[in-house]
Amino acid sequence: MSLVVNIIKDNGQRRTEHFDRKKLYDSILAACLSVYTPDGQAETTADTVCDAVAVWLQKRPEVTSHDIRLVAAKYLKNHHPEAAYLYEQHHITI
Amino acid sequence: MSIPVSLAIIALAALIHASFQLSVSVLTLLSAHTIGAKRSRNKLLRLITSFVFGAGLMTALLLSFGSLFLLSIFGANTPQIVWAIACGMSAGVAISIWLFYYRREKGTMLWIPRNVAKYLTDRTQSTKLSAEAFGLGLSSITGEILFIIAPLLISALVLIQLPSLWQLVGIGIYTIISLLSLIIIWVSISQGCSLSRIQKWRESNKSFLQFVAGAGLIVLVFFVYVNEIVVFAIGKV
Repeated sequence: MSLVVNIIKDNGQRRTEHFDRKKLYDSILAACLSVYTPDGQAETTADTVCDAVAVWLQKRPEVTSHDIRLVAAKYLKNHHPEAAYLYEQHHITI
Repeated sequence: MSIPVSLAIIALAALIHASFQLSVSVLTLLSAHTIGAKRSRNKLLRLITSFVFGAGLMTALLLSFGSLFLLSIFGANTPQIVWAIACGMSAGVAISIWLFYYRREKGTMLWIPRNVAKYLTDRTQSTKLSAEAFGLGLSSITGEILFIIAPLLISALVLIQLPSLWQLVGIGIYTIISLLSLIIIWVSISQGCSLSRIQKWRESNKSFLQFVAGAGLIVLVFFVYVNEIVVFAIGKV
Protein backbone atom coordinates (compact mmCIF):
# COMPACT_ATOMS: atom_id res chain seq x y z
CA MET A 1 0.00 0.00 0.00
CA SER A 2 1.43 3.40 -0.92
CA LEU A 3 1.92 5.95 1.83
CA VAL A 4 0.15 9.32 1.40
CA VAL A 5 1.92 11.87 3.56
CA ASN A 6 2.26 15.55 2.77
CA ILE A 7 5.80 16.88 2.93
CA ILE A 8 6.12 20.59 3.68
CA LYS A 9 9.25 21.83 1.96
CA ASP A 10 11.49 24.74 3.03
CA ASN A 11 9.11 25.79 5.86
CA GLY A 12 6.23 26.12 3.40
CA GLN A 13 8.14 28.31 0.95
CA ARG A 14 7.92 25.62 -1.73
CA ARG A 15 4.96 23.58 -2.91
CA THR A 16 3.91 20.70 -0.63
CA GLU A 17 4.58 17.25 -2.10
CA HIS A 18 3.56 13.70 -1.31
CA PHE A 19 6.19 11.51 0.31
CA ASP A 20 8.34 9.95 -2.40
CA ARG A 21 10.15 6.85 -1.17
CA LYS A 22 12.37 6.76 -4.28
CA LYS A 23 13.64 10.27 -3.59
CA LEU A 24 14.56 9.37 -0.02
CA TYR A 25 16.12 6.08 -1.17
CA ASP A 26 18.25 7.88 -3.77
CA SER A 27 19.50 10.46 -1.28
CA ILE A 28 20.49 7.82 1.28
CA LEU A 29 22.07 5.66 -1.40
CA ALA A 30 24.09 8.67 -2.62
CA ALA A 31 25.28 9.42 0.93
CA CYS A 32 26.40 5.78 1.36
CA LEU A 33 28.15 5.71 -2.01
CA SER A 34 29.85 9.05 -1.26
CA VAL A 35 31.80 7.36 1.53
CA TYR A 36 32.82 4.51 -0.78
CA THR A 37 30.36 1.92 0.59
CA PRO A 38 30.08 -1.15 -1.68
CA ASP A 39 26.97 -0.99 -3.94
CA GLY A 40 25.16 -3.94 -2.35
CA GLN A 41 25.64 -2.69 1.19
CA ALA A 42 24.59 0.83 0.18
CA GLU A 43 21.36 -0.46 -1.42
CA THR A 44 20.51 -2.62 1.60
CA THR A 45 21.16 0.26 4.00
CA ALA A 46 19.05 2.66 1.92
CA ASP A 47 16.19 0.13 1.82
CA THR A 48 16.32 -0.51 5.57
CA VAL A 49 16.35 3.21 6.40
CA CYS A 50 13.45 3.90 3.98
CA ASP A 51 11.42 1.13 5.66
CA ALA A 52 12.09 2.61 9.09
CA VAL A 53 11.12 6.12 7.90
CA ALA A 54 7.93 4.71 6.28
CA VAL A 55 6.94 3.13 9.63
CA TRP A 56 7.59 6.44 11.40
CA LEU A 57 5.44 8.27 8.82
CA GLN A 58 2.44 5.92 9.10
CA LYS A 59 0.67 7.91 11.83
CA ARG A 60 1.68 11.32 10.53
CA PRO A 61 -0.40 12.89 7.75
CA GLU A 62 1.91 15.89 7.35
CA VAL A 63 5.60 16.40 8.16
CA THR A 64 8.34 18.78 7.03
CA SER A 65 11.21 17.75 4.78
CA HIS A 66 13.52 18.72 7.67
CA ASP A 67 11.78 16.13 9.91
CA ILE A 68 12.29 13.45 7.27
CA ARG A 69 15.97 14.31 7.05
CA LEU A 70 16.39 14.16 10.84
CA VAL A 71 14.61 10.82 11.16
CA ALA A 72 16.40 9.30 8.17
CA ALA A 73 19.76 10.47 9.56
CA LYS A 74 18.90 8.94 12.96
CA TYR A 75 18.17 5.53 11.43
CA LEU A 76 21.09 5.77 9.03
CA LYS A 77 23.42 6.42 11.98
CA ASN A 78 22.57 2.96 13.34
CA HIS A 79 23.64 1.29 10.10
CA HIS A 80 26.35 3.57 8.72
CA PRO A 81 27.54 6.44 10.97
CA GLU A 82 29.94 7.86 8.38
CA ALA A 83 27.26 8.06 5.69
CA ALA A 84 24.84 9.51 8.26
CA TYR A 85 27.32 12.27 9.01
CA LEU A 86 27.63 13.20 5.33
CA TYR A 87 23.84 12.95 4.90
CA GLU A 88 23.30 15.37 7.81
CA GLN A 89 25.96 17.74 6.49
CA HIS A 90 24.50 18.03 3.01
CA HIS A 91 22.25 21.00 3.84
CA ILE A 92 24.68 22.67 6.24
CA THR A 93 27.91 22.61 4.24
CA ILE A 94 27.60 25.97 2.43
CA MET B 1 58.23 49.36 -1.21
CA SER B 2 60.82 46.90 -2.58
CA ILE B 3 59.83 44.05 -4.90
CA PRO B 4 60.44 41.27 -2.31
CA VAL B 5 58.37 43.11 0.32
CA SER B 6 55.58 43.68 -2.23
CA LEU B 7 55.57 40.00 -3.20
CA ALA B 8 55.56 39.00 0.49
CA ILE B 9 52.48 41.17 1.08
CA ILE B 10 50.79 39.61 -1.96
CA ALA B 11 51.69 36.12 -0.70
CA LEU B 12 50.25 36.84 2.76
CA ALA B 13 47.08 38.29 1.24
CA ALA B 14 46.74 35.17 -0.92
CA LEU B 15 47.18 32.92 2.13
CA ILE B 16 44.34 34.80 3.83
CA HIS B 17 42.27 34.33 0.67
CA ALA B 18 43.09 30.59 0.78
CA SER B 19 41.73 30.33 4.32
CA PHE B 20 38.24 31.34 3.15
CA GLN B 21 35.97 28.36 2.84
CA LEU B 22 33.19 28.86 0.29
CA SER B 23 35.06 27.29 -2.63
CA VAL B 24 36.22 24.43 -0.40
CA SER B 25 32.61 23.78 0.68
CA VAL B 26 31.41 23.79 -2.93
CA LEU B 27 34.25 21.49 -4.01
CA THR B 28 33.46 19.05 -1.17
CA LEU B 29 29.79 19.03 -2.09
CA LEU B 30 30.55 18.63 -5.80
CA SER B 31 32.75 15.62 -5.04
CA ALA B 32 30.08 14.09 -2.77
CA HIS B 33 27.44 14.38 -5.51
CA THR B 34 29.75 13.01 -8.17
CA ILE B 35 30.85 9.98 -6.11
CA GLY B 36 27.27 9.46 -4.86
CA ALA B 37 25.99 9.39 -8.45
CA LYS B 38 28.41 6.53 -9.21
CA ARG B 39 30.31 8.54 -11.81
CA SER B 40 33.76 7.23 -12.71
CA ARG B 41 36.92 8.31 -10.96
CA ASN B 42 38.16 9.95 -14.16
CA LYS B 43 34.95 11.95 -14.37
CA LEU B 44 35.36 13.02 -10.74
CA LEU B 45 38.93 14.16 -11.38
CA ARG B 46 37.88 16.04 -14.52
CA LEU B 47 35.11 17.85 -12.64
CA ILE B 48 37.18 18.86 -9.63
CA THR B 49 40.12 19.90 -11.84
CA SER B 50 37.80 22.10 -13.91
CA PHE B 51 36.39 23.57 -10.72
CA VAL B 52 39.87 24.47 -9.43
CA PHE B 53 40.77 26.03 -12.82
CA GLY B 54 37.53 28.04 -12.76
CA ALA B 55 38.25 29.32 -9.25
CA GLY B 56 41.82 30.20 -10.27
CA LEU B 57 40.74 32.05 -13.39
CA MET B 58 38.15 34.11 -11.51
CA THR B 59 40.71 35.00 -8.83
CA ALA B 60 43.23 36.11 -11.47
CA LEU B 61 40.55 38.07 -13.33
CA LEU B 62 39.29 39.84 -10.20
CA LEU B 63 42.81 40.78 -9.16
CA SER B 64 43.73 41.96 -12.68
CA PHE B 65 40.51 43.95 -12.99
CA GLY B 66 41.01 45.53 -9.55
CA SER B 67 44.60 46.47 -10.40
CA LEU B 68 43.66 47.91 -13.79
CA PHE B 69 40.81 49.90 -12.25
CA LEU B 70 43.03 51.35 -9.52
CA LEU B 71 45.86 52.01 -11.99
CA SER B 72 43.53 53.91 -14.32
CA ILE B 73 42.31 56.12 -11.46
CA PHE B 74 45.45 56.72 -9.39
CA GLY B 75 48.36 55.71 -11.61
CA ALA B 76 51.36 54.01 -9.99
CA ASN B 77 51.44 56.46 -7.04
CA THR B 78 48.43 55.70 -4.93
CA PRO B 79 47.44 58.59 -2.59
CA GLN B 80 47.85 57.93 1.15
CA ILE B 81 44.14 58.42 1.70
CA VAL B 82 43.40 55.41 -0.53
CA TRP B 83 45.83 53.25 1.47
CA ALA B 84 44.16 54.46 4.67
CA ILE B 85 40.70 53.62 3.29
CA ALA B 86 41.89 50.17 2.16
CA CYS B 87 43.43 49.50 5.59
CA GLY B 88 40.30 50.68 7.42
CA MET B 89 38.02 48.63 5.22
CA SER B 90 40.19 45.53 5.56
CA ALA B 91 40.30 45.90 9.35
CA GLY B 92 36.49 46.07 9.26
CA VAL B 93 36.36 42.91 7.15
CA ALA B 94 38.75 41.19 9.60
CA ILE B 95 36.50 42.01 12.55
CA SER B 96 33.40 40.89 10.66
CA ILE B 97 35.19 37.60 9.84
CA TRP B 98 35.79 37.05 13.56
CA LEU B 99 32.18 37.89 14.34
CA PHE B 100 30.17 36.55 11.42
CA TYR B 101 32.12 34.29 9.08
CA TYR B 102 30.47 31.02 10.13
CA ARG B 103 26.84 30.79 11.20
CA ARG B 104 26.45 29.72 14.82
CA GLU B 105 24.94 26.38 13.86
CA LYS B 106 26.11 22.86 13.20
CA GLY B 107 28.08 22.28 10.02
CA THR B 108 30.12 24.78 8.06
CA MET B 109 27.40 27.21 6.95
CA LEU B 110 28.77 30.63 6.04
CA TRP B 111 27.41 34.14 6.41
CA ILE B 112 26.83 34.58 2.72
CA PRO B 113 23.40 35.49 1.31
CA ARG B 114 21.20 32.39 1.61
CA ASN B 115 20.03 32.64 -2.01
CA VAL B 116 23.68 32.51 -3.16
CA ALA B 117 24.27 29.45 -0.94
CA LYS B 118 21.12 27.79 -2.29
CA TYR B 119 22.10 28.58 -5.87
CA LEU B 120 25.56 27.03 -5.36
CA THR B 121 24.10 23.96 -3.60
CA ASP B 122 21.59 23.42 -6.43
CA ARG B 123 24.28 23.92 -9.07
CA THR B 124 26.61 21.35 -7.47
CA GLN B 125 23.76 18.83 -7.67
CA SER B 126 23.18 19.42 -11.35
CA THR B 127 26.82 19.71 -12.42
CA LYS B 128 27.71 16.86 -14.77
CA LEU B 129 30.03 18.45 -17.33
CA SER B 130 33.51 19.87 -16.91
CA ALA B 131 32.32 23.20 -18.34
CA GLU B 132 29.63 23.38 -15.64
CA ALA B 133 32.20 22.60 -12.95
CA PHE B 134 34.43 25.34 -14.40
CA GLY B 135 31.51 27.79 -14.19
CA LEU B 136 30.81 26.66 -10.64
CA GLY B 137 34.44 27.46 -9.75
CA LEU B 138 33.97 30.96 -11.19
CA SER B 139 30.71 31.45 -9.26
CA SER B 140 32.06 30.18 -5.94
CA ILE B 141 34.77 32.87 -5.94
CA THR B 142 32.21 35.54 -6.84
CA GLY B 143 29.95 34.31 -4.02
CA GLU B 144 32.61 35.09 -1.45
CA ILE B 145 33.46 38.54 -2.79
CA LEU B 146 32.31 40.22 0.46
CA PHE B 147 35.24 38.63 2.29
CA ILE B 148 37.91 38.24 -0.38
CA ILE B 149 37.61 41.87 -1.39
CA ALA B 150 39.98 42.86 1.46
CA PRO B 151 43.03 40.77 0.46
CA LEU B 152 42.27 41.45 -3.23
CA LEU B 153 42.18 45.23 -2.70
CA ILE B 154 45.45 45.34 -0.77
CA SER B 155 47.13 43.07 -3.31
CA ALA B 156 45.87 45.22 -6.18
CA LEU B 157 47.22 48.38 -4.51
CA VAL B 158 50.61 46.70 -4.03
CA LEU B 159 50.62 45.27 -7.57
CA ILE B 160 50.17 48.60 -9.33
CA GLN B 161 53.39 49.90 -7.77
CA LEU B 162 55.41 47.09 -9.33
CA PRO B 163 57.07 47.05 -12.79
CA SER B 164 54.87 45.37 -15.46
CA LEU B 165 56.67 42.02 -15.48
CA TRP B 166 56.54 41.76 -11.68
CA GLN B 167 52.83 42.57 -11.80
CA LEU B 168 52.31 39.38 -13.79
CA VAL B 169 54.49 37.46 -11.33
CA GLY B 170 52.44 38.94 -8.48
CA ILE B 171 49.15 37.90 -10.07
CA GLY B 172 50.56 34.39 -10.60
CA ILE B 173 51.77 34.14 -6.99
CA TYR B 174 48.45 35.36 -5.63
CA THR B 175 46.43 32.97 -7.79
CA ILE B 176 48.49 29.89 -6.97
CA ILE B 177 48.68 30.54 -3.23
CA SER B 178 44.97 31.40 -3.00
CA LEU B 179 44.21 28.00 -4.56
CA LEU B 180 46.27 26.07 -1.99
CA SER B 181 43.28 24.94 0.07
CA LEU B 182 41.48 23.75 -3.08
CA ILE B 183 44.62 21.98 -4.28
CA ILE B 184 44.91 20.18 -0.91
CA ILE B 185 41.27 19.02 -1.19
CA TRP B 186 41.89 18.03 -4.85
CA VAL B 187 44.89 15.89 -3.84
CA SER B 188 43.02 14.34 -0.89
CA ILE B 189 40.03 13.40 -3.04
CA SER B 190 42.15 12.08 -5.88
CA GLN B 191 44.00 9.86 -3.38
CA GLY B 192 40.66 8.43 -2.20
CA CYS B 193 40.41 10.27 1.12
CA SER B 194 36.90 10.03 2.58
CA LEU B 195 34.75 13.13 2.17
CA SER B 196 33.29 12.67 5.63
CA ARG B 197 36.82 12.85 7.05
CA ILE B 198 37.49 16.09 5.15
CA GLN B 199 34.18 17.60 6.25
CA LYS B 200 34.69 16.46 9.88
CA TRP B 201 38.10 18.16 9.92
CA ARG B 202 36.60 21.33 8.48
CA GLU B 203 33.75 21.33 10.97
CA SER B 204 35.92 20.72 14.02
CA ASN B 205 38.48 23.34 12.98
CA LYS B 206 36.12 26.02 11.74
CA SER B 207 36.71 28.35 14.71
CA PHE B 208 40.46 28.05 14.20
CA LEU B 209 40.16 28.81 10.47
CA GLN B 210 37.91 31.77 11.25
CA PHE B 211 40.40 33.12 13.78
CA VAL B 212 43.37 32.63 11.44
CA ALA B 213 41.64 34.42 8.55
CA GLY B 214 40.72 37.43 10.73
CA ALA B 215 44.09 37.55 12.51
CA GLY B 216 45.98 37.22 9.22
CA LEU B 217 44.06 40.14 7.80
CA ILE B 218 44.80 42.27 10.88
CA VAL B 219 48.53 41.48 10.57
CA LEU B 220 48.41 42.36 6.87
CA VAL B 221 46.62 45.65 7.56
CA PHE B 222 49.08 46.55 10.32
CA PHE B 223 52.07 45.83 8.08
CA VAL B 224 50.67 47.79 5.14
CA TYR B 225 49.59 50.68 7.38
CA VAL B 226 53.05 51.00 8.90
CA ASN B 227 54.77 50.65 5.51
CA GLU B 228 52.58 53.05 3.58
CA ILE B 229 51.08 55.54 6.04
CA VAL B 230 53.36 55.73 9.07
CA VAL B 231 56.65 55.59 7.13
CA PHE B 232 55.32 58.27 4.73
CA ALA B 233 54.19 60.46 7.64
CA ILE B 234 57.54 60.11 9.44
CA GLY B 235 59.37 60.88 6.21
CA LYS B 236 57.46 64.17 5.95
CA VAL B 237 58.33 65.30 9.49
